Amino acid sequence: MQWDRHLLAALAGTAVLAGSMPVAAAVTEAEVKAAFLPRFARYVTWPPSAAPSGSNPYMLCVIGADPFGGDVQSAARTQSVDGRKIVVRHLDSAAGADDCHIAFLSGSRGQSVGQMLAALRGKPVLTVTDARNGGPRGIIHFSILDGRVRFSIDEAEASSDGLAISSRLLALAISVTQR
Amino acid sequence: MRRTLAIGACAVSFAFGSAARAAQDVDAQDLANLTIEQLAQIEVRSASKTEEPLSSAPTALYVITNTDIADSGATSLPEALRLAPNLQVQRIDASQYAISSRGFNGLEAGNKVLAQIDGRTIYTPLASSVFWNLHSPLLEDIRQIEVISGPGGTLYGPNAVNGVINITTKDAEDTLGGLVRVTAGSLERTAGLRYGFPVGGSGAMRVYADWHDNEGFRAAPGRPEVDDDYRGWQAGFRSDFGSEADHLTFQGDLFHADADTLPGDNAKGGNILARWSRALSPSSSFQLQAYYDDFRREFTDVVDSVKTFDGQGQVNLVSGRHHIVAGGGIRTTRDLFINNLNIFELVPDSRRLWVYNFFAQDRFSITPKLDIIAGSKVEKSTFVGWQLLPNLRIAWQPNRGQLVWAAVSRAVRTPSRIDRQLEAPGILAPASNFTSEKLVALEAGYRGQPSRSTALSISGFVNLYDDIRTTETTNGGLPFQLMNGQKGTSYGIEAWATMQVTPVWRLWLGGTTLWKDFHLKPGHLDLIPFNSLGSDPKWQLTARSEFDLAPRLQLNLQGRAVGKVDQAPQLGSYVELGGRLAYRLTDRLELYLAGENLLHRRHQESNNGAAQLPERSLLAGTRVTF
Repeated sequence: MQWDRHLLAALAGTAVLAGSMPVAAAVTEAEVKAAFLPRFARYVTWPPSAAPSGSNPYMLCVIGADPFGGDVQSAARTQSVDGRKIVVRHLDSAAGADDCHIAFLSGSRGQSVGQMLAALRGKPVLTVTDARNGGPRGIIHFSILDGRVRFSIDEAEASSDGLAISSRLLALAISVTQR
Repeated sequence: MRRTLAIGACAVSFAFGSAARAAQDVDAQDLANLTIEQLAQIEVRSASKTEEPLSSAPTALYVITNTDIADSGATSLPEALRLAPNLQVQRIDASQYAISSRGFNGLEAGNKVLAQIDGRTIYTPLASSVFWNLHSPLLEDIRQIEVISGPGGTLYGPNAVNGVINITTKDAEDTLGGLVRVTAGSLERTAGLRYGFPVGGSGAMRVYADWHDNEGFRAAPGRPEVDDDYRGWQAGFRSDFGSEADHLTFQGDLFHADADTLPGDNAKGGNILARWSRALSPSSSFQLQAYYDDFRREFTDVVDSVKTFDGQGQVNLVSGRHHIVAGGGIRTTRDLFINNLNIFELVPDSRRLWVYNFFAQDRFSITPKLDIIAGSKVEKSTFVGWQLLPNLRIAWQPNRGQLVWAAVSRAVRTPSRIDRQLEAPGILAPASNFTSEKLVALEAGYRGQPSRSTALSISGFVNLYDDIRTTETTNGGLPFQLMNGQKGTSYGIEAWATMQVTPVWRLWLGGTTLWKDFHLKPGHLDLIPFNSLGSDPKWQLTARSEFDLAPRLQLNLQGRAVGKVDQAPQLGSYVELGGRLAYRLTDRLELYLAGENLLHRRHQESNNGAAQLPERSLLAGTRVTF
């Protein structure tokens, strides 16, 4: 675990270096994060009680300030999972987020990211947070590594919330907190 | 064969005006078709303001990060600037610094650097130099400091001749919560306080205050003792609203500083700035910014005040393989300079000056690996007419993480008030013909990551200067007059590397060399020979080590060796060391011991006539976040 932390620090160090590397990238950090969000649905299995029933869509919620503009909506429109659409909803707080499958948490006036996480703990919601919004970490936590949008995964938290995360997604994570 | 085809395809698609892109160079619309693995491989434009092509410009660029500053133990902005290997920092006394790159350093000679904080220019129109002691932003809230040695290229405003120091503070969204920092030591006490909070659904604001109290230094042998005790405070706010696509920033600062040189000496001022950036489409955006800045210094019977209004706008457009940036700015200053100390005065003592500048630049991808950047500024000031400042850069990225670049650019330092309008009856006549000092800079460099754990930058430059300031006689006698009587060449090499030696040990190494060869132009002389060329060491080496002794214990050491200054009065070389030992008690509480100039009780960094001797300094500090 200790070793893991040092490795992370080392990786973060190289990310800083890479950050000063010159590149002519055409897409923004926010656009790529927005593209990731609906895709997560494909690699996560919800418990039967929470999985969408019938032809119902997956619910992707942005809770708090929306840093993506319309990018999440347009990204969600291009994705479907087993024929199910992905619908984007905006919420001000974690109250009423029980039927969200994926929730991107970004602080609002009424509720900090930490409070949102606390409210959703134990519920079958794939919580996603962003290092740009500070320390609190959801099951998936975005950060920038080497000039690219990457994420860490808290598999222990996912499993205690009843979610199973596919190995394909875990393989992409820069770190995984094991069950 | 495959490569030929790809280039051919690019050429064809270019001919039809459509966008051909390499795999990494995807458009927002293309994201939908990528696998999740491909998404994780896309390089992204940083969400912060440095998404301006500035950072990706092929220049000798060094970035000081927020963490670098926090870990260094630096307690002031100029001390933090020592972290950049391509800057030469001379501490003149407890409060004053001269900072430059590629030479021309000194309190008076250091007039060829553009320094800005969040887009607000901080060099003064009085002498085109920076009063570093008037700027003490909360170091903990600085996002990064970009240091460019050499002309900044097209996109920076006036005075970017020898270098650019671009300080940006964090978005208010990134500074939610509280922070308290207190340090106390033999020579200096500081305190900083910040609180950030959300505003509405998509905004945030922070307020901060910073206070410092510095003991003065002793004078160099044979030099006058100057009472350079110094204390002051700065307070301010920054608020950010909206998303990245539509972003609004308001910020402002107030400061007050007392110096003890003479009773009543003080400096005070403030500024307010607004910036609006908006994406019009995935491929175009604009930014508008305006600020007002007002400061007044009273020192040794001199009053110097400047009120500045500045407005600027910029448009970014990506079309096919072109990335076009264009914009302009206008700045006006109303100054007042009253000198009761001696007979030198500015005539008139108050004046409004104007600077206009417009720029356009195209970054054109000839192939996915080869870019050409061509652009120009045009600049006009009250004292001189329109000047064309073109630059041409070429950037070749043979593979990911490697860049080879070369550039040729022209830059000028437009005359300051002192250049043009300083006079002393019978002794110095105003120089109404003083024109811009000019530079043509030839540069080339490499920046890359030779291995996963190493980053390296090497660059070389040849600077061809003309019309550099001289002090001359008129008709062989008095009065003297400032003229543009010198020309010459400077050249040098700058290199730095960062290494992740082991997972717990990081190492930074840097070095610069500088040669200067200047001469008087025919028919000219210089009564203060080479005074305006600066007091520059021929070389400087910097090394920094950051070692995680234990998960919560970090030791940081930074050393520098600075070559001797040949310019009279000569100054010997010196080596100094600073460091910080920090223990993170909890995630929110850090305790540390830090020191500066540990190797000598006193040493001399500047050959300025009033230079004092920076002393060994030790302090204890703590940072708490909540």
